[in-house]
Amino acid sequence: MTIDRVRRRLLEGMLAAATMAVTGCAKGAASASPGGSAKRLKNSTKSIVARAKRDDVKDAKTGALDTVKLESMLGAAIVRATGESTPLGSFHRLFRPSDVVGIKVGTLAGPGLSPHPELVQQLVRWLIAAGVRDENIVIWDRLDNELERAGFKLNRKGSGPRCLGTNQDYDWTPVEWGAGGSCFASILVNELTALINVAVLKDHDLAGISAGLKNWYGVIHNPNKYHDSGCDPYVAHLAAYPMIKDKLRLTIIDGLVAQCHGGPARSPRWAWPLNSVMVSTDPVALDSVAWKMIEDQRQKLGLKSLTAEEREPKWIASAAKAGLGENRIDRIELVDV
Amino acid sequence: MTEPELHRRQLLVALASGAVAICCPRLAFAQDESLGASLESGPATGLSAHPARWWKSAGELRIECELCPNKCRVADRERGTCGVRENRDGKYYTLVYGRPCAMHIDPVEKKPFFHVLPGTTAVSLAAPGCNIQCKFCQNWEISQVRPEQVQTYAKSPESIVEAARRFGSPTVACTYSEPVVWSEYVFDIAAATKKAGLRTLMVSNGFIEPGAMNDLCGVLGAVKIDLKGMTEKFYKEQCVGKLAPVLDTLRLLVKRQIWTEIVTLVIPGLNDSEQEARELARFVKKDLGPDVPVHFTRFHPSYRLQNVPSTPVSTLTRARDVAIAEGLHYVYVGNVPGHPGNNTYCPGCKKMLIRRISMTTLENRIKSDHCPDCKRSIPGIWS
Repeated sequence: MTIDRVRRRLLEGMLAAATMAVTGCAKGAASASPGGSAKRLKNSTKSIVARAKRDDVKDAKTGALDTVKLESMLGAAIVRATGESTPLGSFHRLFRPSDVVGIKVGTLAGPGLSPHPELVQQLVRWLIAAGVRDENIVIWDRLDNELERAGFKLNRKGSGPRCLGTNQDYDWTPVEWGAGGSCFASILVNELTALINVAVLKDHDLAGISAGLKNWYGVIHNPNKYHDSGCDPYVAHLAAYPMIKDKLRLTIIDGLVAQCHGGPARSPRWAWPLNSVMVSTDPVALDSVAWKMIEDQRQKLGLKSLTAEEREPKWIASAAKAGLGENRIDRIELVDV
Repeated sequence: MTEPELHRRQLLVALASGAVAICCPRLAFAQDESLGASLESGPATGLSAHPARWWKSAGELRIECELCPNKCRVADRERGTCGVRENRDGKYYTLVYGRPCAMHIDPVEKKPFFHVLPGTTAVSLAAPGCNIQCKFCQNWEISQVRPEQVQTYAKSPESIVEAARRFGSPTVACTYSEPVVWSEYVFDIAAATKKAGLRTLMVSNGFIEPGAMNDLCGVLGAVKIDLKGMTEKFYKEQCVGKLAPVLDTLRLLVKRQIWTEIVTLVIPGLNDSEQEARELARFVKKDLGPDVPVHFTRFHPSYRLQNVPSTPVSTLTRARDVAIAEGLHYVYVGNVPGHPGNNTYCPGCKKMLIRRISMTTLENRIKSDHCPDCKRSIPGIWS
């Protein structure tokens, strides 16, 4: 690590932090993607969150996943969220053939409460169909063993899309990102040009909920340092860091199973079959909807609301304030497809 | 006080020792092959899962950590802010027990301890982790990481004692990162060294709950506390910590008659005012006693504080002068080789007692714990 490099990163971080401090928002929140991953569609005044729900996506008896139905759900939600007519059209608009695309999955909770590999594989197929070279697709999370536990097959150096954990491979140059400072996953710093965030929907003991935005904690080396104050404003500031914000194209929640309490670890007692996939180009709108769904389920089960438990996800409002998207429910359109 | 005469050879020796101080601790094993071989180093097979002390159940598989003032509430499969203690099914474990990531044979003066067996070495080790987040941390590559992110090695407390014996070190120092977060390991090392007639030194931020510190006092030989500033604002903004618990720890250590030295890293524009040095000196004199040594050390840009220049030597000299004027007996200047504040002077007759360049002791005139000139008793651990 050279001093020049350290100083350059520091300067970048300070600029980003200063931008947020002065304007209350991160620059170019919705303008970075090649086709424009606009938070709002043309002729729409609301942020779109598309939800596909099929109660028969898993066999009621065996629990086996129907991948054809899953593909259909995912495609329909992506199409609606992006305003295109086909999934491939969406991918053509969101990604360049020259992109190196990182699919960040959140596998911390292990099997039963992690994104399904089958869903991710479908994204890979569409990316390839849209012209992205298969070796330029990287499925990744924090640790190899967490990926494997969640059912992903590692592929560090073989042909085809890579699948790997960051493990110790961080770019060991600390940068400032608003309220925090961290080293970022080396692959994010040095390779990836576009991101798809694939998270799950679950309760989080300190953050309130963990859905799309919180999943970015998995790209820094010191996430445990940013759980004070219910993770506010850390979740928002991290997601607003240009290295993430400017590369993010799509956020997807694998909500086939969700969990309304006892998180972030898997707790079958509080999990329920939501049988849904949700997609948006507005990560704040998606998390706002996710929060409401968690609250609705908690109410259904007679649990106190997150607000009553003093762990409401305040970082969602901070993310909106930082210009990452829309958190006002009346300005979000939840579209069932 | 007289300015020590600097000889070229002595200066080179001192600078060489200083160079060790800035080596990255994570490379320690590789850098010192003889030590590594003697310690039978080898990659650890993974994290440890040693039952933690100092925690209680908080219901629904949650626990509350009682080790440090953060008092983390930790859900199942989560870790505290230190990143090295994990809740597994409602029970708390330390992941770094017996898993050092750095190990050196250091001069004891490097810790720095200036009143503990001068001229000897300390087997010095660190396991990963810290419970605060100093933006100026000089060892952040092992303190601000999770244990998976750094190479660790399997070393039992007994093997650490064996290393101390083999290398003729009368002390073992738990240092570099933050020993508080690996207190279970510290405790067992200290108990084993005590049993073997050696001493364990703890180099800490002092951000620890009184219960845990009291337990450690039963086995520790001496403690050095980083008193990072004298305002809550500094602790909050620069360290994500709190001042009051650190002051309480210092009071507790003195009450328990544990030999204690204090270090303050003086950072330009952040904690370098004359007033702050005065407040520190007054606190030490009033609450701890004038014989507690205080080291003002020089800051160099590090970690997240790259945009602040190194501390001018004149600032350190001024801080030392202020503290002496306030009545402290032993005030040192660190990270400035050849500064008069490297030496120990008798508070009675003002003659030089221990002559040092940086962390190298060149001459020790203390006889039977006393000044050889005026016969004043000099506090410390001298034999």
